[in-house]
Amino acid sequence: MSVGPLHFMALAAVLFSLGLYGVLSRKSTIMTLMCLELMANAVNINLVAFSHYRTPALMTGQMFAVFSMVVSAAEIGLGLALVLAIYRLRKTVELDAMQELKG
Amino acid sequence: MGYVLAIPLLPAAAFAVLAPLSRRLRNGAIAVSVGAVALSFLLSIVAFVATLPGGHEAEAAYHAFVPFAHVGDAVLGAGLLLDPISASMLLVVTLVSLCVQVYSIGYMHRDERIGWYYAVLSLFTAAMLTLVLSDNFLQLYAAWEVMGLCSYLLIGFWHEQEAPRKASLKAFLTTRVGDIGFAIGLLVMFNTAGTFDFATVLHGMEWAPQTATAIALLFLFGAMGKSAQFPLHVWLPDAMAGPTPASALIHAATMVAAGVYLVARALPIFEASGVALTVTLIVGSVTALAAGLLASVQHDIKKVLAYSTISQLGYMFVALGAGGLVAGMFHLVTHAFFKSLLFLGAGVIIHAAHTQDMREMGGLGKHLKVTTVTFTIGSLALAGVFPFSGFWSKDEILTVLLHEGHYVALAISLLAAFVTAYYVARLWFRVFIGPQQTSDLHEAHNEMLIPMGVLAAVTVVVGFASPAFAHFLGHEGEWPALGMALGSSAVAASGLLLGWFMYGRRTKVINTRAIKQRVDYVYGALVNKLYLDLTYEYFIVRPYQRHAAWLGRFDSNVIDGVVNGAGRSWRALAAVGWRFDASVVDGAVNGLGQLVKSAGGRVRRLQVGRVQTYQGLVVGVLVALMLWIVVKGV
Repeated sequence: MSVGPLHFMALAAVLFSLGLYGVLSRKSTIMTLMCLELMANAVNINLVAFSHYRTPALMTGQMFAVFSMVVSAAEIGLGLALVLAIYRLRKTVELDAMQELKG
Repeated sequence: MGYVLAIPLLPAAAFAVLAPLSRRLRNGAIAVSVGAVALSFLLSIVAFVATLPGGHEAEAAYHAFVPFAHVGDAVLGAGLLLDPISASMLLVVTLVSLCVQVYSIGYMHRDERIGWYYAVLSLFTAAMLTLVLSDNFLQLYAAWEVMGLCSYLLIGFWHEQEAPRKASLKAFLTTRVGDIGFAIGLLVMFNTAGTFDFATVLHGMEWAPQTATAIALLFLFGAMGKSAQFPLHVWLPDAMAGPTPASALIHAATMVAAGVYLVARALPIFEASGVALTVTLIVGSVTALAAGLLASVQHDIKKVLAYSTISQLGYMFVALGAGGLVAGMFHLVTHAFFKSLLFLGAGVIIHAAHTQDMREMGGLGKHLKVTTVTFTIGSLALAGVFPFSGFWSKDEILTVLLHEGHYVALAISLLAAFVTAYYVARLWFRVFIGPQQTSDLHEAHNEMLIPMGVLAAVTVVVGFASPAFAHFLGHEGEWPALGMALGSSAVAASGLLLGWFMYGRRTKVINTRAIKQRVDYVYGALVNKLYLDLTYEYFIVRPYQRHAAWLGRFDSNVIDGVVNGAGRSWRALAAVGWRFDASVVDGAVNGLGQLVKSAGGRVRRLQVGRVQTYQGLVVGVLVALMLWIVVKGV
C-alpha cells in the first residue's frame, strides 16, 4: 500500500479536528495553547504534502511550513508568557475564570 | 370790536382755571367766576350800545369768522355775529348769570364743592354766550350740547342723593331725544344748502317748502327737547333737584330759552315752510295751557315754578308760531328776568322754611320782607299785571295772535293766562299769607338779596321798553292796544281773584278736598302729570330696560358662550395635542430608546466572555458556510 496525498490530508484533518476539539473543550489555557499547536501542525502537514505532490521542484510548501513553525514558536512563547502573567495575577489559568469581557 | 370775542371767552377762561383747581380754591373760585362774568356783562353793555340804534337782523354790527375745516366746497368754522338779537340776548344772559352767581355766594357757601359749582356755572355761561353769538348753526349746535352737559352736571350736583342722579340722567336723555332731531335737521340743511351760515341759510336763499318744512320741524323737535315743550317737557320738573340758583339760571332764564332762540333765529326757514309755523303754534299752545294746569296742582314750590317756566316757554313758541319774532323774543327777555327772580326768591324761601312743600309754608310775609316784595313783583309780572314786564310781553303775544287771526290760539293763550294768574295767586297766598308753620324764619344775606333787588328793578322797568325793543330788532313797535290790555288784565285779575277765593281768604277756608273729589278724573290726571311719565316709563323706559336685560343675557350667554366655548375648545384641542405629544412623539422617542436598550440587552448575552464559546461560534459558522458551499456549490 503506497502512501498518497489523501492519507496526508486525512492525517491533517484528524489532527486539526483533535486540536479544534481540544481548543473548544479544554479548561486549562496551557492545554488550549497546545491544541492550537496541534492545529497549526495539521496545516503544516497539509502544506508539505501539497507541495510534495503538486510543485515538488519549488519546495515552497516546505519553506512555508518552516516559516510557520518559526511563527508558531514565537506565538507559543508569547502565549506562555501571557499565561504566566495571568497566573501571577489570578492564581489560576482556567479559561472559565477569565470572563471580564462578558457583556 | 374785537372785545366781543372776550365776552364768551372770559367765562370759558374762568372754567379752564377753576376746573382743575376747584377743590383748592373756595373763595378764590367765587372771585374768579364772578369777576369773569361781571367783565362779560360790562363788555355786553358796550356791545349792546355799539349795536344801537339796532335794525334788521340781517345787518350785523360785527361779524368775525375763523375757518377751521373745508368739507368739499363748504367752509366750516367758528364765528361771532353781533346783531340786535344776539346783543339783547347777551345782556340778558350776562345779567342773569351775574345775579345768579352773586346770589350763589350766599346760597352755596356751605357746600363742599362750591369751586366745582362755579366752574360749571362759568362753563355754562360761556356756552350760552357762544350760542347767542354764533354765526352758523353748527357752532350753535356745539354750544347747545355743552349747555346740555352743564345742565346734566348741575341737576346732578348733589349726586350723593338718588333723586338728583335720576333727574340728571332723565334730563340728559330726554333733551338728547330732541337733539337727535336737531342734528338730523342740520344734516338736511347742509345737504341742501351746503352751509350752516346764518347769512346764507336765513337770508341768502330761497327754500323749497318741503325742505324748509323738514328742516324746520326737525329744528323744532330739538327746540322742544331743550325748551321742555310738550311732550318732551317731562325732564324740567325733575330737574328742580339741582341747586336752586342753577335752576334759576339754566332751567328758567337762559338754557331752556335756547330752544326759543333757535326757532327765532331759524324763523325765515319756518316762514318758508308755513306748516312748521302751524306746528310751532300748536305745540306752544298745548304746552302753555297743559303746563299751566299742571302747575296749579303741584305742591313743591320749585315744581310750580318749573311748570310755569314750561308754560311761559309755550307762550314764546305760540308767539313765534304766529310769526311774532319780536313778541317771542321780548317775552323771552322779560321771562328770563322775572322767572330767575322768582327762583332766587324760592331759594330764600326754601332756606328759611327748610322745605319745598308749600303746604308746610305759610306766613312768611311778615318775616322775609325783602323777599316778599321782590317775589311779589316777580309773581305779578308772571301773572301779567300792569305795569310789570310780563304784562307787556304777554300783551304783545296776544296782539300778534289777534292780528294774525289765530283765534283758537288766542283763546287758549287767554285761558293759559287765567290759569297762570290762578297758580301764581295760589303759590303766593300759600307761602306768604296764612298760618305760620315754621319758627326761626330769617331773611337771607345781602349777597342774596341784592341780585333779587336788581332783577326786580329790571322786571319793573323793562316792560316799558316794549316798543323800543321792537324798533331795536328792526320791526314796527307800538304800545299795546287799550282793548287788548284791558282784556288781558281782566283775565289776569279774575285768575288772581279765583286764587284768592280758594287760598287767600282768612275768614272762610274753602274745602279744596271736596272740589278735588268732585273733579276726581281731571285732578287725578293733573296730579299724575297727565300720565306722561307713566307712559314713557311703560312704553319707552321699561321696554328699553327689558331689551337691555335681554341683550345683557344674550351677551353673557351667547357672546360669552362663544368666547368661552372657543377657549374651552382650544383647551380641549391642546389636551389632545398634549396627549399626542406624550404618547406618540414621546412614545416614538422612548420606544426607540427602549428598542435599542432591549436589543442591546439581548445582544449582550452573546458576549459571554468565554473565549471558547466565541471559538465555537466561529467554527459553527465556518462549518455552516462550508456546508452551504458544498451543498449549493460556489
